[in-house]
Amino acid sequence: MSADTRPLISVRDLKVHFPVYGGILRHQVGAVKAVDGVSFDLAPGKVLGLVGESGSGKTTVGRAIANLLRATSPDVHLEGTISLDTPSGVVDVNGLSRKAMMPHRSAVQMIFQDPYSSLNPRMTVQGLIQRPLDLHTDLTDAEKLDRVRALLGRVGLQPEYANRYPHEFSGGQRQRIGIARALATQPSLIIADEPVSALDVSVQAQVINLMLELKEEFSLAYLFVAHDLSVVYHISDRIAVMYLGNIVELGDADQVYRNARHPYSRALLSAVPVADPRHDTSGRIQLEGDIPTPMAKPSGCGFRTRCPIAREECSLDIPILTDCGEGHLVACPFHDEAFGVGATPAREGNQRDS
Amino acid sequence: MSAYFLRRLLLLIPTFLGITMLVFTVTRFVPGGPIEQMVMKMQMSSTGGEGGSGSGDMATSVELPSAVLAELEKAYHFDKPIHQAYLLWLADLVTLNLGKSYKYNIPVHELIFSRFPVSIYFGLIGFTLAYLVCIPLGVLKAIRHGGVFDFASSATVFIGYSIPGWALGGILLVLFGGGSFWDLVPLGDFRSANWEELSTWGKVTDQLHHTLLPVLAYAVGSFATLTVLMKNSLMENLGQDYVRTAFAKGLPERRVIMLHALRNSLIPICTGLGHAISLIMAGSYLIEKVFNIDGIGYLGYTSIIERDYAVVMGILVINTFLILLGNILSDVLYVLVDPRIRFS
Amino acid sequence: MTDVTNKAAAETVLEVRDLHTCFDIEGESAWAVSGVSFDVHADEFLGIVGESGSGKSVTALSIMRLIPDPPGKIARGEIHFGGRDLLSLDYREMHKVRGREIAMIFQEPMTSLNPVFTIGMQVAETLRHHEEISAAEARARAVEVLTQVGIPDAAKRLDDYPHQFSGGMRQRVMIAMALICRPRILIADEPTTALDVTIQAQILDLMKELLASRRGSSVILITHDLAVVAETCQRVIVMYGGKTQEIADIEDLFDDPRHPYTRGLLDSIPTEQNKGKPLHAIPGNVPGILSFPAGCKYCTRCPEVIERCKIDGPPLVEVAPGHHVRCHLVEDQGAEGSP
Ligand SMILES: Nc1ncnc2c1ncn2[C@@H]1O[C@H](COP(=O)(O)OP(=O)(O)OP(=O)(O)O)[C@@H](O)[C@H]1O
Ligand SMILES: Nc1ncnc2c1ncn2[C@@H]1O[C@H](COP(=O)(O)OP(=O)(O)OP(=O)(O)O)[C@@H](O)[C@H]1O
Ligand code: SF4
Ligand SMILES: [Mg+2]
Ligand SMILES: [Mg+2]
Repeated sequence: MSADTRPLISVRDLKVHFPVYGGILRHQVGAVKAVDGVSFDLAPGKVLGLVGESGSGKTTVGRAIANLLRATSPDVHLEGTISLDTPSGVVDVNGLSRKAMMPHRSAVQMIFQDPYSSLNPRMTVQGLIQRPLDLHTDLTDAEKLDRVRALLGRVGLQPEYANRYPHEFSGGQRQRIGIARALATQPSLIIADEPVSALDVSVQAQVINLMLELKEEFSLAYLFVAHDLSVVYHISDRIAVMYLGNIVELGDADQVYRNARHPYSRALLSAVPVADPRHDTSGRIQLEGDIPTPMAKPSGCGFRTRCPIAREECSLDIPILTDCGEGHLVACPFHDEAFGVGATPAREGNQRDS
Repeated sequence: MSAYFLRRLLLLIPTFLGITMLVFTVTRFVPGGPIEQMVMKMQMSSTGGEGGSGSGDMATSVELPSAVLAELEKAYHFDKPIHQAYLLWLADLVTLNLGKSYKYNIPVHELIFSRFPVSIYFGLIGFTLAYLVCIPLGVLKAIRHGGVFDFASSATVFIGYSIPGWALGGILLVLFGGGSFWDLVPLGDFRSANWEELSTWGKVTDQLHHTLLPVLAYAVGSFATLTVLMKNSLMENLGQDYVRTAFAKGLPERRVIMLHALRNSLIPICTGLGHAISLIMAGSYLIEKVFNIDGIGYLGYTSIIERDYAVVMGILVINTFLILLGNILSDVLYVLVDPRIRFS
Repeated sequence: MTDVTNKAAAETVLEVRDLHTCFDIEGESAWAVSGVSFDVHADEFLGIVGESGSGKSVTALSIMRLIPDPPGKIARGEIHFGGRDLLSLDYREMHKVRGREIAMIFQEPMTSLNPVFTIGMQVAETLRHHEEISAAEARARAVEVLTQVGIPDAAKRLDDYPHQFSGGMRQRVMIAMALICRPRILIADEPTTALDVTIQAQILDLMKELLASRRGSSVILITHDLAVVAETCQRVIVMYGGKTQEIADIEDLFDDPRHPYTRGLLDSIPTEQNKGKPLHAIPGNVPGILSFPAGCKYCTRCPEVIERCKIDGPPLVEVAPGHHVRCHLVEDQGAEGSP
């Protein structure tokens, strides 16, 4: 992150723990440490890609930033700061109640994975897109109508669709409606939680193109969560890799994608299938076993139970993100040795030679 | 998980207190309580009046001695404020003293326990019958879904459902009780009067004779819900992915349905068993009345009508306890039949 | 009928010919599969790719004769396997084929196992049903295959229930269950779609290993992910609108995709070179099953469409040995090129 641009959002040591109750008196017996000390910055107009295994806390990070966690889990335990740069100064979103968040909600919008369930089936497209306008603006009805039609046109849907219901649309079209709804309040940040995962391959490309265009046009920043690494690489300026509630690697898209250093990121990247039948998979790093539950995280490095180069020291302290050159952050003190130790040396130029 | 069940058991206490407190309060404020009834009785006997309700103005003319009234109030703790009275009742309950029925003038627990066997007898048989009929019927309906059999059996069980049990009992008696149609079964009673003198075989057939119609009347109403529950549960499971897997393994349809799908669809049925224990004991006033059976349903109903509050509270205590216990039993059954369930 | 043969005259274990399967949707016949023909060779990994609704699963379920009837029906076609036409077998004979000669695993590892029976029982059940074998022996064999598919401590885990396994582990159990009778063909319908990338790599490698170690067995891998196909399969069938659009060896398909739809699919994958640039998306959406056009199923979205495409459906023609394409443009080329 260059020094002269103020980050749009700056997350510091974010922790999200969901309490788990048990025992005779239903007291708290443990916690799901869904997010366990996450820090990153996101500059205005930039895209941060968030990847990681299922359950690693990607969605939870997104919901924390949008301040949506308390609505669904009132007893969630939140720590750390989420500084959002708003026209009226920097606010810490993490401390805000629902009501205090209201004026800032228009600045941060979300789009979801499942275009089928994230749109209220009983509302027309007009109603769906207009709702955020009702809440956050004081436009007249005529102005709102115009705005909705303009938005529909912008996301590639015919304005006449405004009076139809979500079930009349295909998956890709519904995702466009979701995007139009998110755009309605002119946000500066859109949190996109697996926006293309449920879409057909051919339609996925349309939605990615649309999101890239909109980003330029409205100087949007995205927090882009996805499990398809080639999609994340395509759209992101920076990439963060999460594992079990922590960011294990963070850097420019090229740094992470072409030169991953953390053993988990390397395994993840080598596991990604490549659309090239001649691609050599013999150097693939196979991970043993499954991701542990965030209820019982291993001590020290969360990845040590599956890490091919784990050693005793790994169980002592949680490794912190450290710069391994040019702002490329890695949370593994042994990332250098990772290349020499494993039975599978890194491929030339690392990964994906096409 | 044991913590879960321990917690459930402990939760019994406040629930139990809540329910009894509510009913206790109601009995205190509804007119026509035991004192008033007693007063009425005494007045009637002192004036030698025979006509029951018609003697209203005559009754007011005679004053009861205040000493007698005070004694009565004391016996029912009416002289105390309600919370104290409730606590006294509760204290009695802890020593298993449910009080005395003013109508029968014997301890309530003796009265209730004398009626239980009959109710349990009919309840248990009716309940077993319902499960024996409904499970196979539900399975068959699911397999023949949409066919003639499915349709016809639905119609039958729903007719059974919509006729009240006592009405059905009445119809059955008219038809089979030796009136204008067939003389197949006796007109009621739990057993024949000369039961003791019959041979063993005679005892059994006599008992069965007396059991048949009341049990039908008890059970037929519950056929519809249980059958439909069974059918829907099986239909739902037949659409599951694991059923497709079982077919893909090459298993014949019979095994897929009768083992894989059925085992899963019995889960909701089994857990219903827990709730059924309270129903077994509840009895039914009207059916007992029609068949002239001296069960709990009959006792409960008459006690309410006659404001025999000690008995009402006694039955309530036992039923509440059984319902709460039944809920816990359901959970236990759940754990036993479904390996996925682990309460915490 | 088009002759569908491979250039290296490999032994054919399964022949699908002119398969038609339809569903009755509110009185209308919805043709989920309309005229699918292909061969499965011995010892091969055959991929079927296509987007949602292209008829991949219905094709697989038709081979297994597992189409729910009603509303579905296999209306026409032949499926030759082991000298018989599977579509004309009676139920009893079909039961012997399923699980023993052709096995199938499904996309949802979380729900495809019966929750109330132990893993051991479910794996051994297939074997006990198809072979005369004692319970103890079946258990021993179950331990053996479970170990083969990488379940650690398999003997101890036989009495566990499915919910005690993770998604990846359950998919391994499904594979063990499918392989225990040593079937000639394993149909895997999106076996890794619900799994994480690292787990997906484990499962695909496992399937490749198992295939390599068992001579005479083939795998039909159904997926919507061309990258998965590129990595695992030797031959590919591209489906769209219930028809095979292109059949080719894997290298031929990626080097020389002849069907506009295949090209569209390949172009919409983001690559390292075009990072941040607009992707070549296919315009429009996949039509609903009842609204596919007459003529070429792809003509509403095809960038190269000509008038003829909207009128008649192109036949599947062999443009090179073992490379079949269903497109009027190619048909013309083929006609020009041939003597
Ligand atoms: N409201 C909640 N209550 C309790 N636990 C929760 C809650 N929300 C999420 N979790 C747990 O927190 C962990 C992280 O979940 P999260 O949804 O953020 O993961 P994710 O990285 O988005 O995974 P996926 O790729 O599957 O979407 C998981 O173990 C999840 O079970
Ligand atoms: N049981 C059914 N009843 C009605 N229509 C069905 C049924 N099963 C499949 N279809 C229809 O058949 C068409 C092809 O479905 P199929 O499941 O083969 O698609 P697919 O290629 O496997 O797609 P996906 O990637 O979504 O699994 C779909 O349009 C679907 O709606
Ligand atoms: S037949 Fe026509 S519409 Fe179909 S793919 Fe070929 S060119 Fe396109
Ligand atoms: Mg998520
Ligand atoms: Mg499918």
